[in-house]
Amino acid sequence: MADQTAVFEAVREGMIPAHVYNDREIFELERDRLFNRSWMFLAHESEIPDVGDYVVRHVLEDSFIVTRDNKGEVRVMFNMCLHRGMQVCRAEMGNASNFRCPYHGWSYRNDGRILGLPFHQEAYGGEEGFKKKGQTLLPAPSMDTYNGLIFISLDPDAEPLEDFLGDFKFYLDYYTKQSADGVEVRGPQRWRVKANWKIGAENFAGDMYHTPQTHTSVVEIGLFREPKAEKRKDGNTYWATSGGGTTYKLPPGTLEERLAYVGYPAEMIERMKESWSQDQLDVIGRDGFMISAASIFPNISLVHNWPKVEDTDSDEVLPFISLRQWQPISENETEVLSWFIVDKNAPEEFKALSYKAYLMCFGSTGMFEQDDVENWVSLTNTAAGSMARRLHLNSRMGMKMDGSEVVPALTKEQFAGPGKAYVGYGEYSQRNLLSKWADYLEREPEPAKGISLGGAIRGEQGRTSCSEEQNR
Amino acid sequence: MAKLTADFGACQGYANCVVAADDVYDIDDDGIVVLLKEHIEESDRARVEEAARSCPVNALQVVDG
Ligand code: FES
Ligand SMILES: [Fe+2]
Repeated sequence: MADQTAVFEAVREGMIPAHVYNDREIFELERDRLFNRSWMFLAHESEIPDVGDYVVRHVLEDSFIVTRDNKGEVRVMFNMCLHRGMQVCRAEMGNASNFRCPYHGWSYRNDGRILGLPFHQEAYGGEEGFKKKGQTLLPAPSMDTYNGLIFISLDPDAEPLEDFLGDFKFYLDYYTKQSADGVEVRGPQRWRVKANWKIGAENFAGDMYHTPQTHTSVVEIGLFREPKAEKRKDGNTYWATSGGGTTYKLPPGTLEERLAYVGYPAEMIERMKESWSQDQLDVIGRDGFMISAASIFPNISLVHNWPKVEDTDSDEVLPFISLRQWQPISENETEVLSWFIVDKNAPEEFKALSYKAYLMCFGSTGMFEQDDVENWVSLTNTAAGSMARRLHLNSRMGMKMDGSEVVPALTKEQFAGPGKAYVGYGEYSQRNLLSKWADYLEREPEPAKGISLGGAIRGEQGRTSCSEEQNR
Repeated sequence: MAKLTADFGACQGYANCVVAADDVYDIDDDGIVVLLKEHIEESDRARVEEAARSCPVNALQVVDG
């Protein structure tokens, strides 16, 4: 494996060796050192509301069953039969109290415990030959949730999810906790693009600069009330621990007026006031910023926007929220999973219109989506060549040659949110995201501990466990 | 009413019956079928018969009575 130290050093300077957007070796490093240990999003609890509900999701090639077991607990289990390794669950979603392996017929309860093991007595000599008591499908090494978002890490010693998300939780609440009951999701839509996964993550994290150019047509046809896409430069971009995003500057007004300005009905505003902290409310009411796109390291993005959904003569807008994952397939292909998010307590009519707004803008047929992807595919293709190996892309916007800032960071009096925020165009978030990426890629992987099943392997009696503290 | 019977000696612990009707059948720690009910309503008979038929070693029956 080539030494990538120079790549990481350049990235930390805000200079990006262009080939990192289409490079097999880099991709393998990402797989082994980043996706193998970072917290990864799998599903939202509202996708599996009832006992027995499940969805099957992936972390790269690893397939996981996310279930709500008969006790109502959320479980995440590696979707591989303990016997010969067949995929136990082959549907993408459904409801089941048990899963039966199609190969030799072992079956598992929806909490992962082995249920049926044909000819256990005759073939293995019962428990003396193969201890099936207490054996379960392998649980995800680490699992936790935040606002109903289910995350896992393949690293059993991963730092707690709360710490990983850190200050970004402040911003995540705008998208996923607009009332005490949280949100529900629809989807995901799932499609593939021939682009490197990092490009989308960086774009949503902080690229306000592309809006006036890439998305001119969306503004011209009057989908947005704002007459000019240049308005973006009045907003700010922020970064806080594990994620960052962009905001729009709102016209003068009170908290209520500003939330109504982007289309929230009064009853929803009342619930937001109850669920958000004073600082969270101040970002909008006092400072006049409204969150828009964002990314959580490494590959989750969020978007909040407020297009016109009715006829273009009216100035009525309606907000929508969406969450997406950039699931890497290879160095030049990404599967996008895109969910629609809405407050559980929102009026039904709002939910319906908000869904419509989402579909117009994002998702496989969304107008923004079409504009963006054309750029990203082309960039990925170009990054594969020899010339790209010589070019360091300048990702230093917002920073002068000597490293000093073009504009000062907002003070706590100007922006109540945590982390660092700057008004105007700048590639702060993209730099933060890629620096974190370099930190992960630089760290040697620890060898994963083997797990042997029900047999004596060199003195170690291996077994999986389904103990209570696992999965908590 | 219909009556459930099981040949506990024949059971090989497949648990296909549990997968098909976990309110009627279960499996104990030794991997042998457990009947959770002795009788079922006629109206439920078709579903439970199907579960019984899913047994690869024919250990389960649903009989009249
Ligand atoms: S591989 Fe699953 S039962 Fe054999
Ligand atoms: Fe875009």
